[in-house]
Amino acid sequence: MMDCATYRRTLMADPHDQAAALNEHRERCPECNLYTERLLKFEAKLERALRVPVAEQTKPAAASPGRVVPLHAPPSRRRWLAMAASFLVAALVAGGLWLSVPSSSLAADVVAHMREEPQAWRRTDVPVPDSALSGVLDESHLRLADGAGIVSYANSCGFRGHQVPHLVIQTASGPVTVMVLVHEVVNKTQPFDEQGYRGVIVPVAGHGSLAVLTHGSTTDIKTIERIAARVQESIVWTS
Amino acid sequence: MKDQVGGNQKRARFQALCQSLRPDLLRFAFWLSRDRALAEDVVQESMLRAWKAQDALLDEAAAKPWLLTIVRREYARSFERKRLVTVDVDELVAREEPMLAVAEEQDLAEMRAALFKLPDEYREPLVLQVLMGFSTAEIARELNLSGAAVLTRLFRARKQLRVLCGEDSGLDPQE
Repeated sequence: MMDCATYRRTLMADPHDQAAALNEHRERCPECNLYTERLLKFEAKLERALRVPVAEQTKPAAASPGRVVPLHAPPSRRRWLAMAASFLVAALVAGGLWLSVPSSSLAADVVAHMREEPQAWRRTDVPVPDSALSGVLDESHLRLADGAGIVSYANSCGFRGHQVPHLVIQTASGPVTVMVLVHEVVNKTQPFDEQGYRGVIVPVAGHGSLAVLTHGSTTDIKTIERIAARVQESIVWTS
Repeated sequence: MKDQVGGNQKRARFQALCQSLRPDLLRFAFWLSRDRALAEDVVQESMLRAWKAQDALLDEAAAKPWLLTIVRREYARSFERKRLVTVDVDELVAREEPMLAVAEEQDLAEMRAALFKLPDEYREPLVLQVLMGFSTAEIARELNLSGAAVLTRLFRARKQLRVLCGEDSGLDPQE
């Protein structure tokens, strides 16, 4: 078995490394398990620190490749470049071909949350006990009908001020994480691909939204959308 | 006419792609340069270069590393264009204080100041891994390093950062 020093060195280089040997060591070594938890908290803080605020641009005219929200008075070179790029954008917008990009802030928060719970991504065929699963789902007034797949992880997680179900379902495409976001209303499906996490946030009529995502896999968005639709069909709302 | 519409659609898709990646590219450029104004210039110039060379991007899935490489090269060019003066790290922290202080928690501001103090060769792979979601192999390719060298730098980056942030590093492994 891997020794503690090697385990910690490896983890310090990549705290989200999911190598089988690391998982095996962590499960058998309480000290390293505790060390991992602390390191992941530090990692989550590091990630938040690196995400320095950047003004979001949502209007087409402000979304040109050449325009940056200026935080300082722009030098003349930048202004000239902005004008040149704006001309290109104006031509595109005039053609009515603008593709809008949904705000990714909700997706970013979902991804940030995922990075705090790497242990959830294990590929396994061991389902969580029914009592544990229903305990998590009951809080959000839902249950899962048969056909959703093996739920290998279920936790009630704090997310944007609410407790939300965080599930991992084993699918043919590998483990897929589902977050039931009854407090987060979205108008349309929002695909995202951030930091190795690819997924969709889909609206759920009257019940907020559902985030479904994979990690480090080659599963394409269309497949994830199909998985999301299947999960949505298997949800039975109890209130 | 059909070709023109197809070309316009392609360009619009490319623009949407750039737009979605822009925030992380700006953040990457900021951590590379530790200078907000320079980061904005670098990303601005990079986007225009990318716009002109968009036909070179054959696979949209590869857009992120492709744009990131352009940003890195553009940052390197900025050194050639204007001879950048060497500035003390504490001066850099002070100069960017308004931005660093935009944190809901004091410890985030402290972490950002500590990141400023990390040597470039440790900060860059760390930002690529944590912020950009690059794998070790992708970082190695981007920085022209071996995988082992990348892991060593990442290890040292976190080790130094934890010390700089006053974390309890007593249980941290030795190299």
